Amino acid sequence: MPRTVLLVILWAAVAAVLVALPHALSFSQQEILVFMTINLLVVASYRLLTLTGEWSLGHVVIVGVGAYASALYTKELGIPVPVSMLLGACTSALIAMGLSYPLFRMKGFYFLIGSFAAGEIIRLLWKRFREPFGGPKGIKGIDPMPDFSIGIWDFDFFEPVSYYYFAGAVVALCLWLLWRIERSPVGLTFHAVHWQDKLAQSAGVNVRAYRTLAFVVASGFAGLAGALGAHYIGTINPNGFDVETMVFVLTWTIVGGTATFYGPLMGCIALTVLNEIVLREMGFEQMRPLIYGAVLILSILFLPKGLESLVQKLVKPRRVEP
Amino acid sequence: MVDFRRFSIGRRRFLKTTSSLIGASALSGLGSAARAADDVVRIGFLAPLTGPVAAWGKPGLDGCQIWAEWVNEEGGIKLPDGNRKVEFVSYDNEYDPAVARTGATKLIREDGVSFIMMLGGDTWPGVQPVADRTGMLFSTLLPSDLSPDTPTLVAPAEVHPVYNVTGVAWLAENKPDLKTAVMCAQDDALGLPSVATYLAAFEAAGIEMLEEPLLFDPATTDFAPVVTRLIAGNPDIVCLDTCYSDYVHPICEQLFQQGYKGQIISCTADFYDQIIAKTSKEFMEGFVFQFPDFDDPALNAEGINFRDPNRFFEVYNERHPGEWGAVSWEYASIMDLWKAAAEKAGSVEPEAVLAAMQDGGKGLHAFGEADWWGEDLFGINNALVGNWPVVVIEDGKAVIKEMRSIPDWYAAHGDLLKKHMEAYGQMWNQRG
Repeated sequence: MPRTVLLVILWAAVAAVLVALPHALSFSQQEILVFMTINLLVVASYRLLTLTGEWSLGHVVIVGVGAYASALYTKELGIPVPVSMLLGACTSALIAMGLSYPLFRMKGFYFLIGSFAAGEIIRLLWKRFREPFGGPKGIKGIDPMPDFSIGIWDFDFFEPVSYYYFAGAVVALCLWLLWRIERSPVGLTFHAVHWQDKLAQSAGVNVRAYRTLAFVVASGFAGLAGALGAHYIGTINPNGFDVETMVFVLTWTIVGGTATFYGPLMGCIALTVLNEIVLREMGFEQMRPLIYGAVLILSILFLPKGLESLVQKLVKPRRVEP
Repeated sequence: MVDFRRFSIGRRRFLKTTSSLIGASALSGLGSAARAADDVVRIGFLAPLTGPVAAWGKPGLDGCQIWAEWVNEEGGIKLPDGNRKVEFVSYDNEYDPAVARTGATKLIREDGVSFIMMLGGDTWPGVQPVADRTGMLFSTLLPSDLSPDTPTLVAPAEVHPVYNVTGVAWLAENKPDLKTAVMCAQDDALGLPSVATYLAAFEAAGIEMLEEPLLFDPATTDFAPVVTRLIAGNPDIVCLDTCYSDYVHPICEQLFQQGYKGQIISCTADFYDQIIAKTSKEFMEGFVFQFPDFDDPALNAEGINFRDPNRFFEVYNERHPGEWGAVSWEYASIMDLWKAAAEKAGSVEPEAVLAAMQDGGKGLHAFGEADWWGEDLFGINNALVGNWPVVVIEDGKAVIKEMRSIPDWYAAHGDLLKKHMEAYGQMWNQRG
C-alpha cells in the first residue's frame, strides 16, 4: 500500500479517536480534556520559541495577554467572541513584538530573567489597574462562545464536549500551522539560529530578526490559547498567569522533550493525565504535588531526553545483522 | 453520530438528565463508580487542599469529617423517608477557577452531591456558570462572592470581612488611649474588602490612620521593608488586615525584631502558638483577632449553636495536632445549618433546603441567632450575620473577650462601610 494512503488512513483513525474520545470519558474528565487541549497549544507554541535557543519565563503571561485582550474586546467593545479571540492572539503577538526590542538585546540566562521581569511587569499592571483589568480579582462574566446549530446538532459551549470539538479544531489547525512553520525554510533557520548562530550570521541570516519572528509567532498562538481558555472558564485573574503556572509549562516541555514537535505535547498529556486523573482517582489528591515532583525528578534521572526518546526508540529502524 | 441536542437543556431537565447519566456512567463503568446510595447523602467539599491557600481548606475538611462521624453516630440526617448518613466528597480546587469548575462538574454530575461547600474567592467565578445551570446550592466563606446573580450561593458561616469591625470597636472601648493606626494587606481579593472594612471601623472608632494602607504583592516573601515602613510613624496600632498566615507570621516576627511594642490587630492568627515561639509571650500579649480556639469556656454559653465546641476542639487536636485554624470549625458549622434546613424541609434537594434555611429571615449561626442580610453590600440577603467573637491573646492563649453584634455596628456606621467599600471598588455592583 502506498505510504500516502497509509498516512491518510492513520490520520483518519486518529481523527476518529479524537472525535469519539470525550464520549468515553466522565464529565470531569471531559472538562480536563478541554483544558488539556488548550494547553497543548501553549506548549507547542512555547516549543516554537525554544527552537531559536531562547527559553522564556514570560510565555504564560503572553497567554494571559491574549486572554485579557479577548475578554476586554468582547466586554468593552462588544466584538463577537470568535473575532475577539483572533484579535486577542494578534494583541499577544504585538505585545511580544514590543517586548522583543529590549529582550533580544539579551541571550541565554539573561533573556530568561529578562522575560520573567517583562512578564511580571505586565502581570502587575493587570493587578494595579482595576480599570479595565479588574485588579487582583481579574475579569469575570466573560462572554462565552455563542451557541449555534448545524442541522440536527446543537452546540452548547457551556458543555465540555461541544467546547472540546471547537477548541480541538482550532488547536489542530494551529498545531498543523506550527508544524508547517517548523518544516519550512524559516523553521530550519530557527534551528540554525539556535545551534549555529555565528555561522548563520556569517551566511547573512539576521539572527535577531529570526529570534523576534519566532517570539512573535509563538506569542500569537499562545494568545489564542489564552483566549480559548478565557471564554470557556468565564473568568481570568493575574494569579492564573504567574510563575507557578509557567513552571507547569516548563515541566511539560522538559518531561516531554524538545527535540521533536510531539515531545512537549506528550509531556503535557502524560503529566495532565497523571496529575488530574490518575492521582485523584487513586485517592492521592492531597499528595499530588509531592508525587508530581517525584515523577519529575525520576523522569529527569531516568529519561533525560524526555518521553519523546521512548517513541524514538520504538520507531528507530532496527539494524539488521549481516 | 453525536447527538448534541441533549446538551442544550434547562436547569430542571439538566438535573434529571444528570441523575440518569450518573446511573448510566456507573453502569457502563466509563465514569466514576461513585453513585449516591439511597441511605447516604453526599456533600461536596470544593476548596484548596494543596498550595498556598490550603490552610483555609484542608483544616475545614478535617473538621467536617469529625462532624460527619458525630452526626452519623446519631443516625445521620433525619428525613421523612428514613435517615441518611452523611459522606463528604472532596475535590482539591488548588484555588484555581478552572480546576474549581472541573471539580464542581465532578461533584454534581458524577458524585451526585446535594450541597457543595467552597472557600470561594478567585474560584467562585469559575464555578458560577455551573451553579447557574444546575441550581446546586453552594456555600462560600467569602461573602464578597455574593451578588444578585448568585441566588444559590450562601455565606452562612462568616461574613468576611464585616466581622472585623467588632475587634476594632472592642479595642476602642477597652483601650481608649490608642489613637493612631497603620495597616498592611496583600493586594488581592481577600485583602482589599478587608482594608475597606478596617478603614470604616477605625473611622467609626475615631482612630486616625497615619498613612494610606500599605498594599503588598501576594508574592512578597521579605517583610522587613514592609514592616520598617509600616512602623516608621510610630503608630499605636498595627493592623494586619486579613493576611494569610504565610504573611501574618513573618510580619509578626519582623515587628518583634524591629522593636515594635504597640498594639496588633489582625483578622486571623492561625497557628499563633508558632508566632509566640518565634517571638515571645510578652510580645504577643494583647494581640486582637477574630477566631477563637474552641476550648474556650465562653463557647459553652447559652445561645451558642455549635455542638459541643470544647470536645470538637479536643478531638480535632488529637487527630491533627497543631493544625487548628480559622476554618477548622466553619465548614462544620455550615453543615449544622444545612442539616437543620434539610430536616426542616424533609428533603436534601438544593431548592428546598435553601428555602428552609432562609425561612423567616433568621438562622442559627454558630455564635447565636442571626439574620439573613447583605442586600446593601452584596445585592442579595444571602449572608447570615449576627454576633462575632473578639479574641485576645492572654498569657499565650486565645481568649474570647466578648461576643459583639455586627448588625448593631452596621446600623450605626453602615454608611462608613459603604463609603470605603465603594472607594476600593468592593461593592457588588463594582465587581467584575
